[in-house]
Amino acid sequence: MAKQIVNAPREAVTDGLLDIADQQRLERFLTFEAALMDEHQYDAWMALWEGEDICYWVPCNDDDQDPATGIAIIYDDRRQLEERMMRLKDKTAHAFRPRSRMIRSVNGVVPVRVGDGELEVASSFVLGEIRVGVQNIWLGKCLYRLRDTGEDFRILSKKVMLLNNDEAMPNLTFLV
Amino acid sequence: MTTLIASSRDYGALVKEDRVHSDIYTDAQIFDDEMERIFHRTWLFALHESEIPRHGDFKLLQLGRFPVIATRDADGDIQLLINRCRHRGAQVCEAMRGHAKRFQCWYHGWTYDSKGDLVGVTGAEAYDENFDPKDHGLTLVPRVDSYRGFVFASFNPEVTDLSAYLGATLKYIDIMVDASPIGELEVKPGVVTRTRYRGNWKQVGMDGYHPHYVHMSVFKIFSQRESTTGSAVGALHLEDPFDDRSSSRTRGFPHGHSCLDFREQRRPHADEYIEELERSEDGQRYVADMIDAHGEEHARELIAWHGDPHLGLFPNVQLIHDHVRVVIPRSPGETEVLMYPVFLKGVGDTINEKRLRAHEAFYGPAAAGSPDDAEIFERTQRGLIADQSPWVLLARGRHRERRDEDGSLVACISDEVTQRVQMQEWKRLMSDR
Ligand code: FES
Ligand SMILES: [Fe+2]
Repeated sequence: MAKQIVNAPREAVTDGLLDIADQQRLERFLTFEAALMDEHQYDAWMALWEGEDICYWVPCNDDDQDPATGIAIIYDDRRQLEERMMRLKDKTAHAFRPRSRMIRSVNGVVPVRVGDGELEVASSFVLGEIRVGVQNIWLGKCLYRLRDTGEDFRILSKKVMLLNNDEAMPNLTFLV
Repeated sequence: MTTLIASSRDYGALVKEDRVHSDIYTDAQIFDDEMERIFHRTWLFALHESEIPRHGDFKLLQLGRFPVIATRDADGDIQLLINRCRHRGAQVCEAMRGHAKRFQCWYHGWTYDSKGDLVGVTGAEAYDENFDPKDHGLTLVPRVDSYRGFVFASFNPEVTDLSAYLGATLKYIDIMVDASPIGELEVKPGVVTRTRYRGNWKQVGMDGYHPHYVHMSVFKIFSQRESTTGSAVGALHLEDPFDDRSSSRTRGFPHGHSCLDFREQRRPHADEYIEELERSEDGQRYVADMIDAHGEEHARELIAWHGDPHLGLFPNVQLIHDHVRVVIPRSPGETEVLMYPVFLKGVGDTINEKRLRAHEAFYGPAAAGSPDDAEIFERTQRGLIADQSPWVLLARGRHRERRDEDGSLVACISDEVTQRVQMQEWKRLMSDR
């Protein structure tokens, strides 16, 4: 599960592929993204995505099951992600009401490939979720493809590898 | 094996024609009786034979309270072996699925083959000549039978024949299988979404009354799409199949099986689906192969039906849209649901991929449909605890149900025929002496 970092070029974990200021800017960006998800700020979160060719992928059964022949928990292109936003915002989708309260902590942010204004970034998160008296702890690794605008970043693709993606799981009615 | 422990409960008093007592959803002792009297007595769906195609393939199952290993043996037959070492009882297999021709128990090293035969005893000289390994193979599930690849099992040696048990539902199973032009399905053991909800197992599926309310957000979103043909789920808005004025029907069969029968409602839409299919090469070939295999008339209706029998086989399996759904009760208030997308053999890859994406969009822990179902089952479970007024009403449409030629009770799509037949079978099995 941590193999993106294990397999990264050595300099990605020694010197790092970004200088300190850019690394901090990147970490603030991912913390901001996490805050938008925790706060159910769907429009602002959606605005972080760039382009028509996006992919939001949460694999099922294992971290790399091929979506062409296997199944995913989420495998959204832009149209599907926009429909997901409609549902997250829709008061008639009662699985989303009341909303989960969440705190997540993002860490282990390691750019594993940098070039042409694009970055591939590995990270991990711990997410505490509480809803109707039940608390769930979710853990996962992420792999992002980001574009660096110089100021902040835009998400081109995001893959979320949940620790429990091969277990029976409760509703995942929020963003990860 | 077949003696039942007497139950102190009067199940006839808990299940009436038009209502049931909420204890049947919440009571721990009743749950224990359900395991004993239903799950360990009647037929259960085990797996699809394509999940373990080669000698040595295996998969773990949960059948009632028992962990079971499904194997493909050296003769190509499927064996269902209780996952309990015959020495002192350890599970001999822990992997959920895989390939192994031998299972070795890690407690003292006894080894079994894929037929369950005990083929290795460590330090065998410590046993005398009265010890015969043949007496100590893994215990076989006593009855195993199948229909068109769907394998069923029963712990009850005297259970009625499978074909009699399934009865008139067989031709609905055909709808799913014959969506493949070569009449073969593939279910992949590692391709499944597993969800868990805090509610009773008897809530899952086969309700034609809830979609307008529970799935309201989905109807809203589909109504904004330009085209939703090509998937059984997406086809909803074309004409509302959950309207009581539609030609959709609910059906209740003997032995508690049930069906949301959309055949007549979908039949007139064959042209639209064929037109959609014929826009791609794989689709053109699919239509042609279906006509070759089934003749024009039947091929057209099979295409219109999308391989969706929408059938619930009591107690633990449902064939819905593009998937096989297995229901695993864990406790009165906790249920696991496994959803296996079904792949058609003998079709182009894009056909299966499209079915897969349609399935995935509606079913799964983060999809458009399943979370709202799980949520309402949890709300129901929390409500049912309040048994001051304990009766749960299942009377809807009783006055308008009628007996069809195939023996099923049939009524309008929102009528609770399905729940009534499930509960009558529940009562019959639970009251067994
Ligand atoms: S319990 Fe299996 S070998 Fe002893
Ligand atoms: Fe539903």
